[in-house]
Amino acid sequence: MVDQHTPPKWSRYKYPESLYKHGTLLIVLLFLGYSLHFLNVDIPLLLGALGGLVGVVGDRYYPPDVAYVLDRGYLAAILDTLQMSFLGGFAGVCLAIPLAWFSAWNVSPNRRVFFPIGRLGVISCRAIHETIWTILFVSVLGFGMLAGVSALTMFCVGFAGKLFADEIEAIEMGPVEAMRSAGANPFQVFLYAVVPQVRVAFTGIAIYTWDVAFRAATVVGFFGGGGMGWYLKRNVQQLENLRVAAIILSIIAMVLVAEFLSGWLRATVNRAK
Amino acid sequence: MTVLSVTGLKVRYSAKGPEILKGIDFEVKSDDFLAIIGPSGAGKSTLIRAVNRLVEPTAGEIILLDHNVCDLNAKQLRELRRNVGMIFQEFNLINRMSVMDNVLSGRLGYTGNMRSLFRMFPKEDVDQALYYLDRVGLSDHINKRADELSGGQRQRVGIARALMQRPKLLLLDEPTSALDPKISREVMGLIRDIARELKVPALCNIHDVQLAKEFCNRIIGMQDGYKKFDGATETLKDSDLEEIYAMEVL
Ligand SMILES: Nc1ncnc2c1ncn2[C@@H]1O[C@H](COP(=O)(O)OP(=O)(O)OP(=O)(O)O)[C@@H](O)[C@H]1O
Ligand SMILES: [Mg+2]
Repeated sequence: MVDQHTPPKWSRYKYPESLYKHGTLLIVLLFLGYSLHFLNVDIPLLLGALGGLVGVVGDRYYPPDVAYVLDRGYLAAILDTLQMSFLGGFAGVCLAIPLAWFSAWNVSPNRRVFFPIGRLGVISCRAIHETIWTILFVSVLGFGMLAGVSALTMFCVGFAGKLFADEIEAIEMGPVEAMRSAGANPFQVFLYAVVPQVRVAFTGIAIYTWDVAFRAATVVGFFGGGGMGWYLKRNVQQLENLRVAAIILSIIAMVLVAEFLSGWLRATVNRAK
Repeated sequence: MTVLSVTGLKVRYSAKGPEILKGIDFEVKSDDFLAIIGPSGAGKSTLIRAVNRLVEPTAGEIILLDHNVCDLNAKQLRELRRNVGMIFQEFNLINRMSVMDNVLSGRLGYTGNMRSLFRMFPKEDVDQALYYLDRVGLSDHINKRADELSGGQRQRVGIARALMQRPKLLLLDEPTSALDPKISREVMGLIRDIARELKVPALCNIHDVQLAKEFCNRIIGMQDGYKKFDGATETLKDSDLEEIYAMEVL
């Protein structure tokens, strides 16, 4: 028998996959076009508006009232916001760790009971935006920091819970099996086989969560949670544009500081691996 | 005395997937050091892991230390697993923990949640860990992190951890395949000596037929989910090996 070799054919995208791939792209583009059309976006007008924005800002918001943000009352509000983000971040991370453990499929203590509880907990925290959490808590607890911290806690549970769970699901399963085969219960498996593997990543995520919580804290304040956001709202309502400009600048400055600090801390933690 | 008896064991990893073990019967007696040999993919690891239900059997019966393994609930299964020490090809140590904590973790099945949380193991356990670390030759490395050790040293930690359970059976899944030939012999020798010393039977997957012949008193040959050979090491003939490894020759 003669062995006849036809050279094998190869193409990167075989028939059905190429159809899905290009089809998806086409649908996305079509929808984008449709949305633009539907919105009646007038591109030249949009560009003109940008110019207008610069004019208005220069006109009404310059020069910012720097003295106002250096006042004792406002500096205390900055501190409030910082405290809120710390408390909310801390409580959120503490709640997120058990929820993430429950909702990680590979090491969940019980896939029929705890897994859905964990998933549902994290998802419902994420599903509701932090402004809506604030409005909800303000209506229950009244204006002020307690409502703000509660709202930030929910926000952080949703934010960190998802990241924690993803991290747990990516661990090496070898040590988990070793602990299970030694007769360890799910809690012990979590302590000995999971925690050592995710410790560093969790620390990084916790710092990142604080950073994001700090940004959210300004918004939370705007809706009644206290702190810098609350000052912003009052001055917006009183049309104190120069003060508003100064507050926005101070928020930008603080967020940059938080971002830089969190980046530096995370890099330090990663080096300590 | 029979420590483990397996009858008609079948395993599938998923309902639609192929049958990996297709009806396996064998026994482990209390003085056995039993080797399972066979080509890659024969189902050796699956078999070992089904014994303590790290893999769920789909059919058959496993009687381990007078318990029907498949009938146990989660808590009973944990209590039974405490009696079975397991040693893995990839060591499966906790890399970011010290050698001492790794060895102590073998006692978790006997330790409460609070003690586990704060790593407060009873003094007897610590003394025992020191004894076994000395026995496997790691006294100088007690406080090192597990990932600072060489392969051979890591497997010695794995051995000490398994011994901490005071096992009544050892399950070994290719304990030396990740090690070089010289270290492999040393580690196999160590395991055999300790098994004799403590009078613990062992069930051991081995790739290397030479090692199996050297260290084990009985051999089971597997191929493609079936048992093809079962007998004393001396009775294993070259023709048996050819049959077991037939798939690989082709
Ligand atoms: N978790 C799993 N899910 C699905 N299939 C699996 C899984 N683990 C193993 N298998 C399949 O089971 C078969 C037997 O695998 P097993 O690991 O038991 O073989 P083995 O004899 O130990 O091989 P090796 O000598 O390479 O370790 C293989 O075909 C493998 O693809
Ligand atoms: Mg294997």
